[in-house]
Amino acid sequence: MTTLTRQDLNFGQVVADILCEFLEVAIHLILYVREVYPSGIFQKRKKYNVPVQMSCHPELNQYIQDTLHCVKPLIEKNDAEKVAVVIMDKEHHPVERFVFEISQPPLLSISADTLLSHVEQLLRAFILKISVCDAILNNNPPGCSFTVLVHTRDAATRNMEKVQVIKDFPWIVADEQEVHMQEPRLIPLKTMTSDIVKMQLYVEERAQKT
Amino acid sequence: EASKDHAELDPSSASDKKVILLPCKNPPSRERVQLWLEARKQYESLQKGL
Repeated sequence: MTTLTRQDLNFGQVVADILCEFLEVAIHLILYVREVYPSGIFQKRKKYNVPVQMSCHPELNQYIQDTLHCVKPLIEKNDAEKVAVVIMDKEHHPVERFVFEISQPPLLSISADTLLSHVEQLLRAFILKISVCDAILNNNPPGCSFTVLVHTRDAATRNMEKVQVIKDFPWIVADEQEVHMQEPRLIPLKTMTSDIVKMQLYVEERAQKT
Repeated sequence: EASKDHAELDPSSASDKKVILLPCKNPPSRERVQLWLEARKQYESLQKGL
């Protein structure tokens, strides 16, 4: 069994690759489950050995990819504290927030097998939880849209400047109205602890959605 | 009060401030995606008719 240490691989990069791939699947699934877009644009695929729904709309797919390309340098440097998929009503006020709280524990050494199979198993559980979360959430009002929020530090934003220019995908600081949610109900969905990443997912739901 | 002033003036603490970012661009609207879906369905039915 191959044992990897920090010297063998850029672990930040490996974690960022794994998490961004997971976040891409999770975002598609959230948009499908919460009916942000018509179900006809989604196709069934297999990820983490479970069926998921992925969009086949080119512009939407590109938007999600560009978003995650910009988030990746922050995750790589362990500077993305939270990544939130926010569903907003017609007035652009948040009605639901799927919050992925991410932290990377200090790494000692790890086997390559553990790195791949154990993490995949843990991420599968997140996907399964997202796919059934509509049962515990209230329906959203019609005409909702979405955005992605990243909680980071001011100094860390330099890490994503280059990719913003390359992708022509600029980011701005969120306004109060894009962040504030009235009387949110907190619903924990899943927590994982692995050798390379700790993550918890919860949903914040606005009490009065309509 | 003095420590608060110091914190406000200290550039290192200012750059360490927590921020929440979001993309400046919006994703495609539901209406736009719906139109694309209808156009695709029409195209596919035309292809089948050929």
